[in-house]
Amino acid sequence: MEFFERFAVPHPSPLIYASMVAIGLTILAIILGITYFKKWGYLWKEWLTTVDHKRIGIMYIISALLMLFRGGADAVMMRLQTSVPDNGFLDAQHYNEVFTTHGVVMVLFMAMPFIIGMMNLVVPLQIGARDVAFPRLNALSFWLFFAGAMLFNISFVIGGSPDAGWTNYYPLASNDFSTSVGVNYYNWALQISGLGTLMTGINFIVTIIKMRAPGMKLMKMPMFTWSALITNAIIVFAFPVLTIALLMGTLDRQFGTALFTSTDGGMDMHWANLFWVWGHPEVYILILPAFGIYSQIISTFSGRNLYGYKSMVASMVIISLMSFLVWAHHFFTMGHDAFTNSIFSVTTMAIAVPTGIKIFNWLLTMWKGKIRFTVPMLYSVAFIPLFTIGGVTGVMLGVASADFQYHNTMFLVAHFHNVIIPGVVFAMLAGLTYWWPKMFGFMLNEKIGKWAFWFITVGFCFSFFPMYITGLDGQARRMYTYSEATGFGPLNMLSFFGAGLMAIGFVIIVYNVLYSIKNSPRNIGNDPWDARSLEWATQSPVQSYNFPVTPEVESADALWDQKKKGSQIFKGKVEKIHMPNNSGLPIIMSGIMFVFAFSFVFYIWAGVIISAIAFFACMVYRTFEKDDGYYIPVSEINETENKNGGAN
Amino acid sequence: MKIDNTQPLEYSTEQNEMNILGFWIFLGAEIMLFATLFTTYFIYADRTGSGPTGADIFEITPVLIETFLLLTSSFTIGLAVNAMRLQRKNATIAFLAVTLLLGAAFLSVEIYEFMHYYHVGAGLQVSAFTGMLLTTLGTHGAHVTFGLFWGLFILMQIKKDGFNPRTANKTFIFSLYWHFLDVMWIFIFSFIYLKGMM
Amino acid sequence: MKELFPAKQVNGFVFSLLLTVVALSVYFMDMSFELGMTILLITAFIQAGVQLIIFMHAGESKDKSTIYTSLFYSIFIALVTIFGSLLAMVWGYM
Repeated sequence: MEFFERFAVPHPSPLIYASMVAIGLTILAIILGITYFKKWGYLWKEWLTTVDHKRIGIMYIISALLMLFRGGADAVMMRLQTSVPDNGFLDAQHYNEVFTTHGVVMVLFMAMPFIIGMMNLVVPLQIGARDVAFPRLNALSFWLFFAGAMLFNISFVIGGSPDAGWTNYYPLASNDFSTSVGVNYYNWALQISGLGTLMTGINFIVTIIKMRAPGMKLMKMPMFTWSALITNAIIVFAFPVLTIALLMGTLDRQFGTALFTSTDGGMDMHWANLFWVWGHPEVYILILPAFGIYSQIISTFSGRNLYGYKSMVASMVIISLMSFLVWAHHFFTMGHDAFTNSIFSVTTMAIAVPTGIKIFNWLLTMWKGKIRFTVPMLYSVAFIPLFTIGGVTGVMLGVASADFQYHNTMFLVAHFHNVIIPGVVFAMLAGLTYWWPKMFGFMLNEKIGKWAFWFITVGFCFSFFPMYITGLDGQARRMYTYSEATGFGPLNMLSFFGAGLMAIGFVIIVYNVLYSIKNSPRNIGNDPWDARSLEWATQSPVQSYNFPVTPEVESADALWDQKKKGSQIFKGKVEKIHMPNNSGLPIIMSGIMFVFAFSFVFYIWAGVIISAIAFFACMVYRTFEKDDGYYIPVSEINETENKNGGAN
Repeated sequence: MKIDNTQPLEYSTEQNEMNILGFWIFLGAEIMLFATLFTTYFIYADRTGSGPTGADIFEITPVLIETFLLLTSSFTIGLAVNAMRLQRKNATIAFLAVTLLLGAAFLSVEIYEFMHYYHVGAGLQVSAFTGMLLTTLGTHGAHVTFGLFWGLFILMQIKKDGFNPRTANKTFIFSLYWHFLDVMWIFIFSFIYLKGMM
Repeated sequence: MKELFPAKQVNGFVFSLLLTVVALSVYFMDMSFELGMTILLITAFIQAGVQLIIFMHAGESKDKSTIYTSLFYSIFIALVTIFGSLLAMVWGYM
């Protein structure tokens, strides 16, 4: 029994026991359900072993939505706890765990898979490719991310959650102050999913560089593809920093080194340094694809081509370089001299300039356009003013001397939610609605979607604008409660009210999906939004081979050219198409990696060694494997195209 | 699979070109990985706590041997790719085998070096400096170890299947990896050892 | 036999050994820290260049612009990270 004691949650509460039961029942229900409907074979063949970028994209997005609800539940719990002074709903330790998991889940297991899922779905279609450059690696990326996400999520029922904040600063994250295995979970979950993300980065750079349709020069790529290219470049160069930081954290916690200690020469603040060397580019990894999505949507629903294409590209390239030059603004108060703080203060303000250029480009795209206020467009239009407020408060925080007032207050919390929610979350909801028909062949209901939009947007304003005020009044972030005398009570209650509205908005979205599956018409054609770029030129839902004939394009708005100028996208004949084979290796390797990391978290060395050997055995198998894929014959392509009334 | 005969075998298919480009980009990521290690090492180099300093523990002889072994192995893997482009199967295998042997020799000296550090009181847990020194060297050493196995399996495949777009591509990519490890060693040699002993 | 040892590679090897010897001078000769670091920086980066261009054939493929972009990008960011962190954690840390 002694062996099993380590898995006990160190600080249990009825809530945690209830979640244990809920998780157990859900897993049981899923397993029984699949068995009852005899879907295991289908699931394995069509989804778990798939290397198709569209299906991987869908799996990423499903995971992201699940994580959105997990992180959202954390958020509502925090707002509930702080809604009235001296509340006892959560104690200090639980509050610590909740804000930690909320941050990690939302940034790394919700926003990241959401954007990567969108890139998977859209980028190969926008550039006219059959798949990504390395389809098998793509599957491995997804399953590694999934293993990391699951590892992180089981922490609160097995062994205890991390409790040192999503930034996981030392010494708080060291064994002395964070005594459960929670931070070990943090290290390993991020390590594994980070590996997956790095592979995605390489994969998409090569895909975009090498697999574009004939005629698509770099400067003729749709804007979302451009943003994906830049984002993946940032991923490739930022994630190795996190890898090393996490490795050092693991060494400190599990092997007794003195890297982030305050004794024996260690330097706890160097964790903060490395974390933000990765962390600040990470912010731009999240926001640039969102900018790409908004560019596509605003251009489509304004009926005009994107204003200032070249300046859009240039500003993204500049952002990608500058995102690596600003990181120290996250710890202005650490104790630098004025010169150092000035440098990072200036770079921080400078990076607002290219972002500002983009805002003007979107406004000028809409200028004199015939705007259609669809759900994706509503999110995009709401994004512009809300994001600008977030950006402006960011510049305020960038003033090093003033930051001493704002640092670690709710003002900061309001600021970064103000950029991330209208920036990233709105973009994902807009993109999901926009590309939904391309994925599934039917549209989400517009009317219900608009209800969700208003609830989320209004809820957002109520949730976060009060925090600017309480922050300036001195309410510190991560404080689990406060006394009535502080006067923070009413505004926090307002914030809780806003969080409730947002929660209702997300429930409406779920309802919308269910409603639309049942009621939406299926004969919507290839191009239901009257859109412009190449992905709308092929069937909805997209066939496994994407395009029956390799497309040829003349501009970023290939479909628009065909519709308005009469240029032909599909000139060639149907030829047999080379496709990659499915493989079970990615999910098996990720499963092994999960066992490896889980054993490592709990110091079960036998499990570590066995799973490490198994992982390398899989790599050896892979290197000797000969898999050249297969061909889809012309007859089969013609048959599919005729059946679905395809593009030709 | 379309094979383009105007290109060397390792570039002859589209997938091969993508594999090579992808690996170059991976090397970009590796540069950042080692840059992070160096960053931390430089910050920690003087933070020795109560433990020894670099000047106390570094020895020039093993470091010189390691440098020579790795430089030579980088030369021989270059010769292996050259021989492969001349379609000289046996020569390629021979050069690859020499490369791996030199790599193994490098690793044995490095293990000796680590044992030496341990004996003079510079273990992993002693101070921030020793911890980061061993982490940095260890990361490089782990890369070399991984490369030894990888190279061995490629050697077996060349032996069995001869040269084809698949094996040629793997050999070329492996050579990129091996040269890269040599480049990283040069930086370790210059900015960890020589700087520390100066 | 001669074709197996092309002059380009042999010269590259000899050159890299020479650079190592030059770098070693900072150990065997007495010099200031600044001079030593300058020598090390120069020899290390030339060495890296020799490896990249002579041995790794960085410039031979169709994708050389992408390869060089990615290399320069990563070297730029690597230097920013190293010197920025030194600024933040050592030189500018009170």
